[in-house]
Amino acid sequence: MISRIRSVCEKKNYEFLFKTHSESLRNFIYYKCGDLQQAEDIVQDAFIKLWNNCAKIIFEKARSYLYTIARNAFLNDVAHKKVVLKYQASTAKNITHETPEYILEEQEFALKLNKVISDLPEKQRVVFLMSRIDKMKYSEIAEITGISVKAVEKRMSQALITLRNKIGNI
Amino acid sequence: MEEHFKDDTFLARWVAGELTEEELEAFKKSEDYLKYFKINEEAQKLKAPKFDKDAAFNNLIQQLDENNENKKVKKLLPNWIYAAAAVLLIALGIYNISHSSTRYQTDYGQQLAVVLPDNSKVQLNANSQLEFSEKSWKKTREVKLKGEAFFEVEKGESFKVLTPVGTVEVLGTKFNVISRDNYFEVRCHKGRVLVKGGQDIKTILTPGKAVRIINAKKEEWTFSKTKPTWLQGEITFNKTPLEQVIKALENQFGVSFDISKIDIKQRFTGGFPNKDLNSALKLVFTPMDISYTVKDDNTIILVNKSNKYKEAKENQ
Repeated sequence: MISRIRSVCEKKNYEFLFKTHSESLRNFIYYKCGDLQQAEDIVQDAFIKLWNNCAKIIFEKARSYLYTIARNAFLNDVAHKKVVLKYQASTAKNITHETPEYILEEQEFALKLNKVISDLPEKQRVVFLMSRIDKMKYSEIAEITGISVKAVEKRMSQALITLRNKIGNI
Repeated sequence: MEEHFKDDTFLARWVAGELTEEELEAFKKSEDYLKYFKINEEAQKLKAPKFDKDAAFNNLIQQLDENNENKKVKKLLPNWIYAAAAVLLIALGIYNISHSSTRYQTDYGQQLAVVLPDNSKVQLNANSQLEFSEKSWKKTREVKLKGEAFFEVEKGESFKVLTPVGTVEVLGTKFNVISRDNYFEVRCHKGRVLVKGGQDIKTILTPGKAVRIINAKKEEWTFSKTKPTWLQGEITFNKTPLEQVIKALENQFGVSFDISKIDIKQRFTGGFPNKDLNSALKLVFTPMDISYTVKDDNTIILVNKSNKYKEAKENQ
């Protein structure tokens, strides 16, 4: 029965942690602030802190550590700008048989949805997007945001209700 | 049909596919179902802005390198420990301690990664001590070691590891050094290593070759790992005197052994995991036919089970 201790200070392990967590960490902060540059800076700072403390951090706890550092860094950034989130253009090509009017309606709906998501309160927005875009389970979201699974589910439900109310008549 | 408003996690569970059949059927009949369905469908098509992972990683590494050049070596221990250590080492008359030297010490069961001023890397194993002078680093790369460490040395001028029992000199390579009381062992993982010790013992090691000095005698052997197993959580031994195996257990787990009833000169070949004391004890002592009992104050008493020891003594 051999147990492996993986050291965060070993370059290949550190790189693995980066490859695994950097993107969703960046998304997490981006959903909070809508500022790509700020998100990328916070991610880099978090990984630098991870490296500087690598001897004291257990490999399996690294994700928790990174998100905690990132959340705190975000709290310290006082400026709260209006959040306008941008997404990559959808490449769905499965509606070619639809009428132009239908396609237009779809696009309008998508635009409206984007705006309404940006207007969600931050707590609801972050949970909603980590679930829908990053495909995280509620238990994972709970771990990285530092709240209970039940609280995550509440925020998710609230987000959906808010979206449904704000999106008006479809 | 407004149940989803009474249960504040209903919608979340719906999205995750965790509703019961009945709940789902009821929900599908509600007015708002289609709206929620459409919102959820559209939302899943969203993608966050592109993220160039490789570029981001390269930027990060660059930043870390820059930080490293400006980095001041951090003190990891409170100052009073330096005072105590200084008194002890001066009393042994082995080292000259200057105020500008940097010291790292690991505790029982602890490992520590250290980066030297020239970017050479040292990983300290449990209960070990590393010392070097940052100021004189540019002139001579010299570290003092007590205990065990794995070195990855950057190419450059000579790099020396001084231990109470022997010296290791390299030009740029990877090697593992064990220096405990009266025991000295060096394994070469990469490059070439010059080992000096005892009286007139001098050996050059190439990758896969190891040497130990016991009682002023030299033993050489071959091994085949690229990195020491203790970095991966297992500590291995090859015909190593039991005394050293026991010391390794003590350093790893912080226990002490009563060895008065066993023959510590026996050789042991094998390994133990460095996180699980019970497995470790089993793996080391069962093949050696030694029984172990734990006393209250973290002491383990070892007794040779068979009469082999007695017979050996009698036949001497």
